[in-house]
Amino acid sequence: MFAIEVNELIKQYGTFSALKGVSFSINKGECFGLLGPNGAGKTTLIRILTTLLKSTSGKATMMGIEVGKDNTGVRKLIGVVPQAMTSDLDLTGLENMDIYARFYNMPKKDRKARIDDLLERVGLRDRRNDLVATYSGGMRRRLEIAKGLVHKPAILILDEPTIGLDPQSRHVVWDLLTNLRKEDTLTILLTTHYMEEAEFLCERIAIIDHGEIVAIDTLEGLKKVIPTKDIVEIVIKGTAGERLIEDIKSLPMVRSIIFADGKLRISVENGAQAIPLLLDKIETSGGKATSILLKQQTLEDVFIHFTGRPIREEEARKVNFLIGAGLPQKMGR
Amino acid sequence: MTRLLAVVERDLRRFVRNPIVILSSIVMPLLYLIILGSSFQGTLKNLPIAVVNMDNGPQSIRVMERLQALEAGPGYIKVSRESDQGKAVEGIKNGRYKGALILPHDFSRNILKGNRGEIGLFLDNTETIASETIRNVVTAGMSNIEVKFIPVRERNARAIVRYIELYKKVDYDQSLIPGIVIMAIFLGTLTTGAFNTVMDKFLGLDESYLLTPLSKRDIVLGLVISGVIITTTIAITVLFLGSFISGIHLWNILSPVALLSAIIIIILSILGLIGMMFVILGRANHPRIVGVLGGFLNVIFFFPSGAIYPTDSFPGWLKMFAKIDPETYSVHALKTILFKGENLTAIRGDLIFLTIFALITLTIATLTYKREL
Ligand SMILES: Nc1ncnc2c1ncn2[C@@H]1O[C@H](COP(=O)(O)OP(=O)(O)OP(=O)(O)O)[C@@H](O)[C@H]1O
Ligand SMILES: [Mg+2]
Repeated sequence: MFAIEVNELIKQYGTFSALKGVSFSINKGECFGLLGPNGAGKTTLIRILTTLLKSTSGKATMMGIEVGKDNTGVRKLIGVVPQAMTSDLDLTGLENMDIYARFYNMPKKDRKARIDDLLERVGLRDRRNDLVATYSGGMRRRLEIAKGLVHKPAILILDEPTIGLDPQSRHVVWDLLTNLRKEDTLTILLTTHYMEEAEFLCERIAIIDHGEIVAIDTLEGLKKVIPTKDIVEIVIKGTAGERLIEDIKSLPMVRSIIFADGKLRISVENGAQAIPLLLDKIETSGGKATSILLKQQTLEDVFIHFTGRPIREEEARKVNFLIGAGLPQKMGR
Repeated sequence: MTRLLAVVERDLRRFVRNPIVILSSIVMPLLYLIILGSSFQGTLKNLPIAVVNMDNGPQSIRVMERLQALEAGPGYIKVSRESDQGKAVEGIKNGRYKGALILPHDFSRNILKGNRGEIGLFLDNTETIASETIRNVVTAGMSNIEVKFIPVRERNARAIVRYIELYKKVDYDQSLIPGIVIMAIFLGTLTTGAFNTVMDKFLGLDESYLLTPLSKRDIVLGLVISGVIITTTIAITVLFLGSFISGIHLWNILSPVALLSAIIIIILSILGLIGMMFVILGRANHPRIVGVLGGFLNVIFFFPSGAIYPTDSFPGWLKMFAKIDPETYSVHALKTILFKGENLTAIRGDLIFLTIFALITLTIATLTYKREL
């Protein structure tokens, strides 16, 4: 049984299709990343999986429980960190956590220990009795993550969990998630815009664009497919002979090579691993490298390859100019 | 149960962190009491009227004496003499007089002959309450003394006399108390219950608890319970402070049974109004909608309820509306308990209506609560 199984999920907003038949499955204990530009349908997908929205058609199951059939069953199973911040500003961090845990019927004893532990891990224990209104954006986000974990969910779903966090806090969150996965079988589904995040946390990644999954694989697998490889630029003394160029071309990870202005420009599969081999070849041919530059493939490259646009392209939300956001969502947007 | 209580606690904690809201829910109805109580008092005394006596016969002199007695006694009117009708009517037009009394030249003669003695009464119709008061005061005053002669119909006269009593200062202030308690209840139910769901939607906080195993019932009932706790506290505070301001020491005159009855009425009214707010505002997602609707709803439920003006004088269609306005029953029940010293059986009808209203609105509220985004 898969932890999450999604089959031909479709979501229509009026005539607009936010999801056009999405299918994938996530193994138990796996960390699965969902990448896509703004407006791709990530949040819509997550809201359907977490019972917040009804899909137009299609089927999704969480640990075998069908979403839409037994929503309470699904809700007990999952912990969710929504994209927007949802903690109560008028309550303290601790009150937020405690009340949230009681929504899950957690007994008092378990609550206390779990909340203490989580607040410690996200670095908010000292501030637990302060109103959330006094927290910084990053602190509030870390509280959101702790909140989503309070009832020890089997599946954790995070919608851009580290957005707005400084690199240090981001590492706090990554370590927290990594440690939790070591302690328990925890299945994670997360959306992110950060390459390092997907690389650090996820076993597999799906790229979603315009409501469709355009690629799904391990990060390495995705990188292999795209033509833009890592680029290694090596400046050498003198010129490179035919021999050297042929030698380098014969290396299995090398895709192409150009020599111009005393500079070798080599497109390789994995730049970091290729550099020592390349230097070897240069040395045995009697040449000498004076400087090396490695341009690694980025998630941006992967993105542009699969979606044809950069990862952050803002798309204005359509709000009716007359009634604004003031009417029921269906009519107002 | 744990879940429900957690919803209640979340809401209560958030509310007490906003003491200014609680304070204004208490202070505003009290200010209303003070302003309304004293402003009606002001307009209802010393209303200037002109008298044109073209008769000067014995009967007209008795009328004049009577008017002077009304002026000197309760002081509702202030009488000035004018020489002719044209001047008197002119005085009404330019606002010097609120009314003019014309005694025709054959007034005494007609009465002596056993015919009807007719007095002309000009009123400034633009000042509804003032002109109504003058009509009542004058006709009632005349009828008391000259029943034999002045052809004021008995039925009218009696109804009018009651109005005059209502407007005596102390009575009027006190008669407003049930009304301002209901107003406090309205404000309380407007800013608790459904309003929290509107704010949560607006701030995007609803997502967090919709993700949890909380049921529709947990969410709605939890908000209703916290709303009842908060609003009952406010309403009872307003009841006691309002009574104190208008000179009644409730804690002396209210028996424990009466107090309990009052609390039952208050809680039933709150339940109904909170349910109604959920039905009306349940799908709203911007606080501005609550602002606009709140002001409107307050007016349309408050004024026809009999809180400041007796429902008897309404036109038919408004009486119909008053009949389905829950505040009418709350006001009537509270007046009966507080002022007539009656017990629960006297307000059985009110209690039945309020209970049914609460059950219906709360059921609709729970069923229609949208437990998704
Ligand atoms: N209530 C709604 N009514 C109509 N269209 C909507 C509604 N909610 C979302 N959409 C549209 O559906 C599409 C997908 O939105 P969604 O929020 O899922 O994107 P996303 O991938 O999460 O983007 P981001 O990275 O910006 O968070 C967008 O084009 C959006 O405008
Ligand atoms: Mg999103």
